[in-house]
Amino acid sequence: MTLYIIRRLILAIPTLLGVSFLVFISVRLVPGDPAIALAGELATPELVQQVRQNLGLDQPLLVQYGRYMLRVFQGDMGSSVRSRLPVIEEIQTRLPRTLSLAAVSLVVSGVIGITLGVTAATRPNSWFDGGSMIFALIGVSMPIFWLGLMLMIFFAVLLPQWLGLGRPILPPTGSGSWQHMVMPVIALAANSMAIQARMTRAAMLDVLRQDYIRTARAKGQRERLVVYTHALRNAMLPIVTVIGLQFGTLLGGAVLTETVFAWPGIGRLLVDAIGYRDYPVIQGTVLVISLGFVLTNILVDILYAYLDPRIQYN
Amino acid sequence: MKQFARAVLLLSVLALGMAFPVAGQGSTLTIATGTDIENTNVFSVTASPSFTVLDHIYEQLFEMTEAGELLPELAESITALSDNEYLITLKQGISFSDGTPFNAEAVKANLDYALNADNAAPYRFLMVVADEPAQVEVVDEYSVKITTSIPFAPLPAHLSHSAFSMVSPAALAQGADFLASNAVGTGPYMLSAWNRAEQVVLTRNPNYWGEQPQIETLIFKVVPEAGARIVEIESGTVDVAVRIPPADIPRLRMNPDVEVMITPGLRTIYIFFNTTDPLFDDVRVRQAFNYAVDKEAIANSLFEGAALVSEAPFAPGIFGYTPQTPYPRDLDRARALLAEAGVAEGTSVVLYHPTGRYPQDALVADAVRSQLADIGINVELRTLEWPQYVPHVRRPKPENDIQFAMLGWSVPTMDADYALFALFHSSSHPPGFNGAFYSNPEVDRLLDLGRSTLDQAERQAAYARAIEIIWEDAPWLFLYSEIQVTAVRSNVQGFVVHPDESLIATGASIN
Repeated sequence: MTLYIIRRLILAIPTLLGVSFLVFISVRLVPGDPAIALAGELATPELVQQVRQNLGLDQPLLVQYGRYMLRVFQGDMGSSVRSRLPVIEEIQTRLPRTLSLAAVSLVVSGVIGITLGVTAATRPNSWFDGGSMIFALIGVSMPIFWLGLMLMIFFAVLLPQWLGLGRPILPPTGSGSWQHMVMPVIALAANSMAIQARMTRAAMLDVLRQDYIRTARAKGQRERLVVYTHALRNAMLPIVTVIGLQFGTLLGGAVLTETVFAWPGIGRLLVDAIGYRDYPVIQGTVLVISLGFVLTNILVDILYAYLDPRIQYN
Repeated sequence: MKQFARAVLLLSVLALGMAFPVAGQGSTLTIATGTDIENTNVFSVTASPSFTVLDHIYEQLFEMTEAGELLPELAESITALSDNEYLITLKQGISFSDGTPFNAEAVKANLDYALNADNAAPYRFLMVVADEPAQVEVVDEYSVKITTSIPFAPLPAHLSHSAFSMVSPAALAQGADFLASNAVGTGPYMLSAWNRAEQVVLTRNPNYWGEQPQIETLIFKVVPEAGARIVEIESGTVDVAVRIPPADIPRLRMNPDVEVMITPGLRTIYIFFNTTDPLFDDVRVRQAFNYAVDKEAIANSLFEGAALVSEAPFAPGIFGYTPQTPYPRDLDRARALLAEAGVAEGTSVVLYHPTGRYPQDALVADAVRSQLADIGINVELRTLEWPQYVPHVRRPKPENDIQFAMLGWSVPTMDADYALFALFHSSSHPPGFNGAFYSNPEVDRLLDLGRSTLDQAERQAAYARAIEIIWEDAPWLFLYSEIQVTAVRSNVQGFVVHPDESLIATGASIN
C-alpha cells in the first residue's frame, strides 16, 4: 500500500506539470491583458509597454513558462499583479478558510445525507422515503445563491424582527467566528447532502437485496447491525466516490457561496484574479486546487481498499 | 404554543452566542463596500474602492470638495509665477503619522515618484502636459515650484486627485512592495489591518493636524454581492452600504432605520459619432439621432430613475458645468432633419457597444437601436469584450471604421479641462480620446483658454461657451450620467458620498 501511495504521488507530478502548462497557456489565450488592467484604461501605449516589461510579459511564452516553473520549484509562485503580494501568501491566507468551510459542510452533509439515505432505503416506498427524497430533490434544485440570500434575510432580518431582538441572530456575511460559518455551511451542505442522500439510498437498496444480507438476517443479527455494518460498508464505495468528488469541487468551486457570504476563500480569489487577468494568482490557485483534487483522489482510492478488502493495489 | 416556539427560538439565539460584532456600536463605523482594495500603494491603485479607503490615510496638496469647490489641503496657496510656472506654498507644522515632517522635500519626493515612468503610476498622465512631465523644484522648506511645458491652469485640480497623495518619504524610500501593504500619510486615520478580501480597518491618527474625527475605528468590509449588502444594512450589521441596485430604492426608503442617499456620479455615458464618416459628417444627421433617442425613458426604465439625463457633455458638480436643454424626443423633427440631409429610410449603421463595463450598457445600446428604428434607421449592434473594445474603437483615423460607439468618461479631477480637452480638442484625435474626430477651431480656442488662465471666472465663461457649441454640433449622442445609490443607517450623521465615488467618514458620527 505504501508503495502504491508513493507511486500515485510520483504520478501526480506529471499531472500537475500538465495542468500548470495548460493553465499558463490558456490564461494567455484569453483576450485581455494584465498590463492594461494594471495601467488603467486611460493608459498610454508606452505605459502599458512599461508595465508589460515590468511583469516580464514581453518575453516569449516558453521562456516565461520556463522561468515560472523554475521559481515554482523553489517555492516561489510569483507576486500578484493586483496586490503585489506573494501568491503563496495570498493562497496561505485563503486556503484554510475554504478548507474549513468545505470540511464542515461535508461532515454536516455526510451525516445528514447518509442517515437520510439509509433510513429511506430501509423503508422503501414509505412516507419517510418519499418525504426525504423530496427534501433531497429540493436541496439539489435550490440555487445556492438564492438559498444563501434567503437564509440571510431569515436569520438577520426577519427572525430578529419577529423575536423583537435589536440585532441579527447570525452575522449575514464575513468570517471570523463560528457563527459566521453557520449559513454558508447550510447553503453548501444542502446541495451535497441531497446528492449523498440519493446516492446512499440507491446503493443501499442494491446491497440490501443481496444474499449475504439475507444470510445475516437469517443468523438473527440485529437489524441495526445488518444495516449499518454489513450493508452500509459495502454501499459506501459509490458514496465515498461522490464525497471525494464533492470535496474536490468545493475546494475550487464554492465560489457562489463565498461570494454571497463574502467568505474570503480561494474560489473568490480565483474569480477575482480572472477578472483582473492576474496571471500569477490564477496559475497558483489552479495549481493548488488541482493538487487538492489529486490528493483527494488518492485518498478515495485508499479508502476503497479499506472499505472493500478485495480491492488490492499492487 | 406560540410562546413555546418563541422561547425555543430565544434559547437557540442564546446558544448561537452573541460573540460576533454588530455595527453602530461605540465609535466604530462599518462600511460595506463591493470590492476589496487593490493594495495600499496609492501610486499603483486604479479604482475608487481603493482610493476611498486610502483617502482617509493620505491627503493631497489640494482638495476637491463634494460641491466641486477646489480648496487647499496640505497646500496653503498657489500662485502663477509665469504662464507655465506655479509656486505652491505649503502648510507648516504637519507631520506624517510616522513622525516624518511634511515639507517641500516630501512633496518633491512624492511627485517625482509618481512622475517617474519606471514606477508606471496609472495616473501619471494627469501631470504630463503636452507629452512633458511636470518639473518639481524645492524653493525653500515650505514652497515648491512646478513647471509645465505649456500653461496649465487645471494643475491644482489635477493635484487634488488621490493618485497624487502625499506619502511619508520614509515609507516611499522603502519601495513599491512595502507601500503595497503599508500606508503612512498625514490624514486623520492610520492603517490598522488589511485582511484581504475581508476588511480594511483604520484607526484614528492621534497626531492628526486637523480636527479629530469623532469615529475612532473605520471598517471597510468587503461584501461583493449587492443583495448581501442590503441585508447587512437592513439588519444593522453595517452602517453604510454602497452600490445599492436602483430596484431596491423604494423598499429601502420604507425602512425607517435606513436612509437612501442619491449622489450624482462623475461618469457620463455617451455614444460618439465618427464625424468623418460619410453619414455622420452632417450635423443634421447627428442632431436627428439625438432627437430620436428618448433619454428620459432610458433613465427611468433601465435605471429606475437612477441616472441623470445629460444636459452637458459631462456630469453636474464638475467645475465648468453649464447645463443645456436636452434634445427632446421629437420624431418628426428627427425625420425632417434626416430628409434634409438626404438620408434615405432604411439606412443601416453599425453601433459598437461594450457589455458589462457600465451598468446596463448592452441594454442601453439595444434601447437606442430600437428607438432609432422609429426614424427608419437600421442599427446593427456589435459588442466586444472590454479589454478589446477600447483599443478597437480608439484606433487612429486612417484605420478607424467606427460609425458610432458607446463609451463612458469619468472626470476624477472634477475640472472641465479633463472633461473636455481630451474628448473634443482637435489635438486629441486618436491615439487620443477624441473618438469622434471632432474638430471646431472655436472650441479649440476656448479649451486652450480654459487651460491657460488661473482666473476661475474666465475659465468658467470659456467652458460655458464651449459646451454650448459642442451641444449644437452634437458630435455625441448625449445620453446620461451615472448616479450613486448609498444606504446609510439613520443614526449616522455627517457621512459624505463624494461624486468621485469616494466615501468620506471623517466628519461622520453615530448617535
